[in-house]
Amino acid sequence: MGIMKKIVNTALIICLFVSTFSLANEVNIFNARHYKADAELYSKFTASTGIKVNLINGKAGALEKRMIEEGVDSAADLYITADAGRCGAFKSKGMTQSGLVSSTIKSSVPKSFRTTHWVGVAKRARIVYYSPERVSGAELSGLTYESLADPKWKGRIAIRASSNIYNKSLVASLVKNNGKKAAGEWAKGVVANMARDPKGNDRAQIMAVAAGEADIAVANTYYLALMLSGNKGPEQQEAAKKVKAFFPNQNDRGTHMNISCAALVKGAPNKANAIALVDFLLSPEAQEHFTNNTFEFPMIAGVSPSSLVVNNLGLDFKQDLTTSVSSYGAKQADALEVMTAAGWK
Amino acid sequence: MFSNKFNIWFLSSLLISLLVIIPILTVSLSFFEDTSRYFDILKKTFLFEYIINSLSLLVGVLILTFFLGVGSAYVVSFYKFPGVNFFKWALILSFAIPPYIYAYSLFAFFDNYGTAFTILKTLFGDGEYNKNIPKFDGMFGLILSISFSLYAYVYILARSSFLYQSQNLIDLGRNLGFSKFKSFYSIILPAARPAIVAGLSLVAMETLAEFGAVDFFSVNTLTTGIYNAWITFDDLAFANRISFFLLLFIFILFLTENLSRKKAKYHLDTKGGFKQKEKIKLSGTNSFFAFLFCFLLFFLSFLFPLGQMLYWTIKFPENFFDINIINLLLNTLYLVGLSSLVLIIFALISNYGNRVSRNKTLNFLSTLSISGYAIPGVILAVAFITFIAWFDENIIKSLGFLSIKKLFIGSILGLVIVYFVRFYSLAFNGIKSGYEKINVSVDESAYLLGYSKRKTFMNIHVPYLRNSLLFVVILISLEIIRELPITLVLRPFNFETFATTAYISASEDMLEAAAVPSLFLILIAAFFIAITSNYILKENNG
Repeated sequence: MGIMKKIVNTALIICLFVSTFSLANEVNIFNARHYKADAELYSKFTASTGIKVNLINGKAGALEKRMIEEGVDSAADLYITADAGRCGAFKSKGMTQSGLVSSTIKSSVPKSFRTTHWVGVAKRARIVYYSPERVSGAELSGLTYESLADPKWKGRIAIRASSNIYNKSLVASLVKNNGKKAAGEWAKGVVANMARDPKGNDRAQIMAVAAGEADIAVANTYYLALMLSGNKGPEQQEAAKKVKAFFPNQNDRGTHMNISCAALVKGAPNKANAIALVDFLLSPEAQEHFTNNTFEFPMIAGVSPSSLVVNNLGLDFKQDLTTSVSSYGAKQADALEVMTAAGWK
Repeated sequence: MFSNKFNIWFLSSLLISLLVIIPILTVSLSFFEDTSRYFDILKKTFLFEYIINSLSLLVGVLILTFFLGVGSAYVVSFYKFPGVNFFKWALILSFAIPPYIYAYSLFAFFDNYGTAFTILKTLFGDGEYNKNIPKFDGMFGLILSISFSLYAYVYILARSSFLYQSQNLIDLGRNLGFSKFKSFYSIILPAARPAIVAGLSLVAMETLAEFGAVDFFSVNTLTTGIYNAWITFDDLAFANRISFFLLLFIFILFLTENLSRKKAKYHLDTKGGFKQKEKIKLSGTNSFFAFLFCFLLFFLSFLFPLGQMLYWTIKFPENFFDINIINLLLNTLYLVGLSSLVLIIFALISNYGNRVSRNKTLNFLSTLSISGYAIPGVILAVAFITFIAWFDENIIKSLGFLSIKKLFIGSILGLVIVYFVRFYSLAFNGIKSGYEKINVSVDESAYLLGYSKRKTFMNIHVPYLRNSLLFVVILISLEIIRELPITLVLRPFNFETFATTAYISASEDMLEAAAVPSLFLILIAAFFIAITSNYILKENNG
């Protein structure tokens, strides 16, 4: 008994020591972007600056909750996540601070993709994929997000659940542009047009079109490139070849754009290191790494997207630069409310 | 008298109960707080669906685990057929597959362009197979995933009860000219009822607490409601309100389970007249069907998910080198070792305390302290953070001390505490059932021989309890290896386990990358089960 107690005590002391032990030159990241490419980038950053990168990985919601509960005692410096809706909502909870400013950020990130609290480090568009066999050019002509509610698509659309952040941000942009009421009617129309109950990830929506379960799908740009790359196996490569990409709203405000973002957390103990890391993520080297591995669009000028993206999706599309991505967070609750009310699972 | 009451046993039991009651209180106190608009929206649209879904899930899983668990236990307990000795223990290997990994496997195999598609294409060449491949997802997939993962609870308990049924009872049926089915239906099954109910209650609690698989198939249950209310709408009060109802529901199941256990014990007390049961040798088609049933069950519950994860690991070998397996293994084992040690020590102290003091208050506290198992991990983690934040702001800081948040949130200490609350009942009940087999007269004899309490404990109880302790360690280890929500929410920086790595990959559109950690999780869990399967089966033989 005595020995056991000693063991427990020692174990407890050791683990306490380990868990509170911290190095001076470091940056603590709450990371909700889980691409192995990111981890490689952080290693490069440490190699070139000597700043150690501490990571806590998790799903965005749970990580945010933890930072909120930890409050001013949180060790978090940067919150890195996909989707402006998350960074925006996190900011509106008062969990970020201004000061994420540097000459690199100012010169390389367009204004609509940053605030002083958070900065976009890579771009993506949420677009429509279609089956060229079952959807004619005439049907697609002039397609907008708004027209996805058109009854002609009844039983033909594959799209993810309403809890998905990409959908929340897309619908938030519709709330911002057309008002909450119109967005509510639109959501009802889309639900009526669904080919199946929402399920699976973005790739699953694209594969539903390839497999003939749906005629059109809504998904982000980089997924098609990912499937075409063969990294996900020959079957998905084959499926990806059966669908084509279409960029909606080319005749008005442009295609819905989104970002991967880094937010400066309130009370960040290593603020300077955090800014240094964001600067690094915006360097041509890091941007190239993003485009070649995650197939996102680069944030800075002078870096080209992956050839898989250029050849299969095209680049000459009109981006929606009028709807600030910061509205995605602001209108997020409205977006979820209209989707929920429309019975969007 | 006073000193007798407030001894070390009492204090440690009190401490443990306090620890467990904190999350329950946190949840209950929030019940009356204001909720946001989420409640209105939920009420108008989905609340009914959430409840229906939770109930359908529960009923579906209970029916399936009943048939799988009781069926397999009956066949291996009463009949001789090829492979029966292998299946007897192989069927508990399904414990190594958490429901969420089963869910990944179902999806990976049956989804568009999944493994089934690849197999068909390899066999028959190109074709439009996707439309003809059934899709096991949504509610149906969820029921299958949870049932195949959890039926072993019913199997183990039903089997041990069957083994204890007196041969006389079975002979009676035979003498009355009952058919095999009638003997089973009207004699064997009713006699084993308490054990089966106990197994089903465990399944029910695990089902209601299940997070990973429910999340993966996006079925809207009350658990989803709690998570959404908390994460998306920032409405901790409403999350706690739904939790409160869920807890009430679980509490009823919990009582049912406890009552059944007591009755089960009654049935196990076959003193004297215990005759080695003769197994009936099956031949011909019957033998084949018994084998087929067990093999299919073993295949579907264990080989299928293992095979799918192995296949993906081989198909996407780059994922193998992306994770630091040694590191994940050490982290997982570290948590398992530390938590088991702490749990075992406290459960021993508390059980021993109950035994020597036979104090009613103490007994009540013990019963209270095991209710943590009924609280879903998500709720527990949320409540723990809420409480620590509150305690830190209102007590510690106002007294002028430094913040204690970092000590508890995002630390191994915090993780172990919440694991402790969640799994204390496993340790406590496991040791208790072991203790119940040591007659109190043994203690009295020891005292008469001049043994101190301590010496009685160390030299008599602990050796007697060895099998129970081992069984408890394995149960705790399996739970912690598979545990998701608590680990996800509370783990420190740069600290991943196989479970968290698998879950994060799966939830971020990288299901293929979940295969490697899933595979290792299965292998380690299966290893744990395999080395102790004799003890598990024996322990439940008595």
